[in-house]
Amino acid sequence: MKTGLRIILLAAGVLAVIGAAICTGPTKLLDCSKLGELLCGAPRTSDLERAALVLWELRLPRVLLAAAAGINLALGGLLLQTIFRNPLAEPYLLGLSSGGALGAVAALAAGATATIWPAMAGSVAIAAIVLLLCRKRIASDLPSLLLAGVALGALAQAFTTTIILRFDPGAMRSILFWLMGSFAGRGWPEVWMLAPAAIAGCVLVVVLHRPLDILALGGESAHHLGVRVMALQIGGIALAAMLAALTVAACGTIGFVGLMAPHLARRLAGSRHITAVPAAALVGAGLTVGSDLAARTILAGNELPVGVVTGALGCVFFLALLLRRGD
Amino acid sequence: MKPPALSASDARAGYEGADILRGISFDLHAGEVLGVVGPNGSGKSTLLRTLTGLVSLRAGNVHFGGRNLASLVPRERARLCAVQPQTKAPVFDFDVRRFVLLGRHAHRTLLGRAAAADEAAVTNALECADVQHLAHRSVRKISAGEWQRTLLARALAQETPVLLLDEPVAHLDPGHRHQVYGLLRELARRQNKAILCVSHDLNLAAEFSDRLMVMQNGTIRALGAPAEVLRDDLLQEVFQCCSLKAGTNPFTGRPGVFFAS
Repeated sequence: MKTGLRIILLAAGVLAVIGAAICTGPTKLLDCSKLGELLCGAPRTSDLERAALVLWELRLPRVLLAAAAGINLALGGLLLQTIFRNPLAEPYLLGLSSGGALGAVAALAAGATATIWPAMAGSVAIAAIVLLLCRKRIASDLPSLLLAGVALGALAQAFTTTIILRFDPGAMRSILFWLMGSFAGRGWPEVWMLAPAAIAGCVLVVVLHRPLDILALGGESAHHLGVRVMALQIGGIALAAMLAALTVAACGTIGFVGLMAPHLARRLAGSRHITAVPAAALVGAGLTVGSDLAARTILAGNELPVGVVTGALGCVFFLALLLRRGD
Repeated sequence: MKPPALSASDARAGYEGADILRGISFDLHAGEVLGVVGPNGSGKSTLLRTLTGLVSLRAGNVHFGGRNLASLVPRERARLCAVQPQTKAPVFDFDVRRFVLLGRHAHRTLLGRAAAADEAAVTNALECADVQHLAHRSVRKISAGEWQRTLLARALAQETPVLLLDEPVAHLDPGHRHQVYGLLRELARRQNKAILCVSHDLNLAAEFSDRLMVMQNGTIRALGAPAEVLRDDLLQEVFQCCSLKAGTNPFTGRPGVFFAS
């Protein structure tokens, strides 16, 4: 099957998941005959008013936020996998998400309500320290960068846990829930925070698709073919850090999406970034929206953190991959 | 007078404090094949990395067609000099044709589709390197020798006046070794390319090169026509092997190197 057709089918599948996520919930939204009335501005009954409120203020922003978070994580994972030429690289592995979480939790502990800038600062700080520590080896020794990221990520997690332990039990529970990733209680402000970054990130990576294809061959080859290797590597890590930070600030830490989405995308649409980017964005969006739908519905009346669902999915995915390769 | 396609003057370079190359000076002219030989650790690969800007010069200069390497932006450099490196197949998958098309990056705009000239250059490069039958195969599913020739095709697709090759026949069978060196000589003669080729195969290098550069401890020990350079005393000293003897290939009349015992 042609790659274009695969991407179209993937888009149709993701739209179906988004549709299901919008229509599913404790409040029955509408049947199809009434949807037209709602969208066409027909005189509203109390049922319609309630449905409109649930749709516009709860479901739609939640689903769009989940989709944008999935795109950001997938894009970050794709970039890092290309830069490090390692299919296991993702924002978590490089400590970017842990840095963002530390920034956000530290801000909450200090009494701040806004987590966006502290999370950004945390992720960018980790990226900056990793790059500074390995500045002389960027072109030649990428595994050192990964190891530095893993080590700093572990340190950030240790600090985060220490800070959480200082909260009272009630606050600790809600922060832990937030840390494990959730789209509950978020609204349009978070959507406006993540969606433009997701769109801009996709556009930027598509524009740079060929230099990134070449970078995936290795730093030396990219140098010989006329790519500004270090600028692309640093820019790519910075973009991945920013996308991870925004996502952590808006939704907490959602694991495995940055790992699974690029992996699946490459299987579906090939390794070229011109096709892998839209595929990864679609898979990422589908994974997070679908996982959020599952997190809301698996336990009736009791919502799970979405990170629990993506973690379980990731585990199954990679075990299946391992067993298949073993055969 | 036209400047040499590639020249180095008193170049010094190295890694982390230590100089690996010292006093490297040579000219490489259009239409010439220069073979670079020497024992392991003599600085052959560092020479290639220095000539392409991967290792920074600490002193001296490198010029491509009279243009200083230090003044070239990456895309300009990639239009003047192509490299066949020693590298493994990429982690992520590409088919051979798309892989070779990446060699055209420096000739294309950032978002533009491949022009007819790009496609023609790729087709020609695939044919020259004898990998046209692999065009739609994955680079991860070809043999080491086929990968080596695919790397050569990518370098040829760059259509540069200078070609730098790092052990281009390392994994090839005798037939393909002969074919690749024959191709390099043809490219130099017919397309006027300047070719610098690092090799461990002294006989092939002597057979097909116009001049040989013998490297030892990061310096040029000898540079000249193969018959002048391949002397018993020099070979035995540089390669630390008393059995090496210079001789003549009875079939081609070209100089060669043999084991006397």
